Amino acid sequence: MLSYEFMQRAFWAGGLIAIIAPLLGVYLMLRRQALMADTLSHVSLAGVALGSVLHLNPALSGFAVAVAGGLIIEQLRRSYRTYSEMPVAIIMTSGLALAVVLMSLKQNLSKSFGSYLFGSIVAVSNTQLALIALVALLGVAYFIILRRPLYSMIFDEETAEISGVRVKALSFSFAVLTGMTVAAAMPVVGVLLVSALIVLPASLALRIAAGFTSAIFIAIGTGMLGVFSGLSVSYYADTPPGGTIALILLSFLLVTILIQRLLRLIGRRRPQKTIQSKESNIHEILEA
Amino acid sequence: MILSSMRDVVFGYGQEAVIENLSLDIHAGQLIGITGENGAAKSTLLKLMLGLLKPWSGTVNFRRIQEDGTRLNVAYVPQQAASFNTGFPSKVSELVSSGYYSRLGLFRRFKAEHRQKVEQVLQRTEMWAYRNRKIGDLSGGQKQRVCIARALVQEPDVLVLDEPTTGMDAASRMKLYGMLREDVSRHGRTVIMVTHGLEEATPYLDALIHLERKEGGWQCSVTNSCNGPSGQEA
Repeated sequence: MLSYEFMQRAFWAGGLIAIIAPLLGVYLMLRRQALMADTLSHVSLAGVALGSVLHLNPALSGFAVAVAGGLIIEQLRRSYRTYSEMPVAIIMTSGLALAVVLMSLKQNLSKSFGSYLFGSIVAVSNTQLALIALVALLGVAYFIILRRPLYSMIFDEETAEISGVRVKALSFSFAVLTGMTVAAAMPVVGVLLVSALIVLPASLALRIAAGFTSAIFIAIGTGMLGVFSGLSVSYYADTPPGGTIALILLSFLLVTILIQRLLRLIGRRRPQKTIQSKESNIHEILEA
Repeated sequence: MILSSMRDVVFGYGQEAVIENLSLDIHAGQLIGITGENGAAKSTLLKLMLGLLKPWSGTVNFRRIQEDGTRLNVAYVPQQAASFNTGFPSKVSELVSSGYYSRLGLFRRFKAEHRQKVEQVLQRTEMWAYRNRKIGDLSGGQKQRVCIARALVQEPDVLVLDEPTTGMDAASRMKLYGMLREDVSRHGRTVIMVTHGLEEATPYLDALIHLERKEGGWQCSVTNSCNGPSGQEA
């Protein structure tokens, strides 16, 4: 499998995305912006369509439009503080509507859209791999350098602002990085499932991690395991990589929830057994 | 030294003004209580003072630079600070340590002396025994104490607390008032605190700002020298 150049590219792309997407996911989940990735992937699709219509590189135009979408959502989030989910809904429908209309303008465009919608191993071009590498590098540097102000901001924006964090600038830069990551992940998992790679590993990590750093490492580890196993299964079973990766990540989450419930159940029964045995001992002593 | 000065401030939500023509000076180095009925705009007053809200008209000046040219370190514990995301993946010690981040900046290392300070503050707030607990597993009063500890670890020049005693029992409330009083008297810290427990807090205060809505208007009265240690005008 790895003797094929396109598979090597897919594994490189998948591995890099599996670092940055779950890492971003932890922050998005804690900011209650889990749907932002989904929204920006729809916006990015409009960018891809726009690029095709204007004879530009679709990967680059999708990238630029996703970043612009991130900035618009952040600006709208500040305007609609009471209804923070409203900007997400507005931008998601606008992006999809624009993509559909642009697709209708150019014939045969809808065929190549399949790879963007559901992801395709062969869809990872050299340009896309370079973009993914750049985004992963920038993203990791961003989260390492700004780890402290980001932690303060996601815990509470007001207290962070009072203690000197430039919340507005940080929030906008975060939106830009979200747009970049979503656009970079699209060729691997597809528009419809890009949020799976961002949200599912983070959901699992937040369920089991005791500390913030451990949550990040668990999310990245889960993401990598999901992507590598998903790409392998996709290759041998000839299934779309996006869906395969998403289903594997979903199964990880479900198994984790199941194990947690079982452990909780066992934990509840143990003290009951201890109490029962103590009670029977007391009865034995009293009867004697 | 005047820390914050408000002149003819008008502010409201939607079409309705909740603060009208307020003028007020807050002096540094005092323990100041803000009290009033529900809806008397106490939290709004704090947020205006801190610059989190912009007034419709009038001016708010908060002295951010000290006389020696250094930046004033301000810590804020918001109302219902304890209602944070219970799934937030942090232990008590990790969250309290994050209070240091504003002083350390991006790259300065978190050293043993900082760890010692965190321990000291956790001991003071009686949260040391819970240092390895996940913050989501704590009770309301414990979460509140963790948020206060996080603010205290910053060693702020100004500490602003919005109803900090929510969820605390009587003994914990008295300990908190005593601790804040000690910080003001010993270290010259300014503490501004919104409180409902007027009777129990008054003996510890230097000044009290009472906000009251009256028919046809809104009133703010300032009582000085509640316990008389400084005697300055609030």
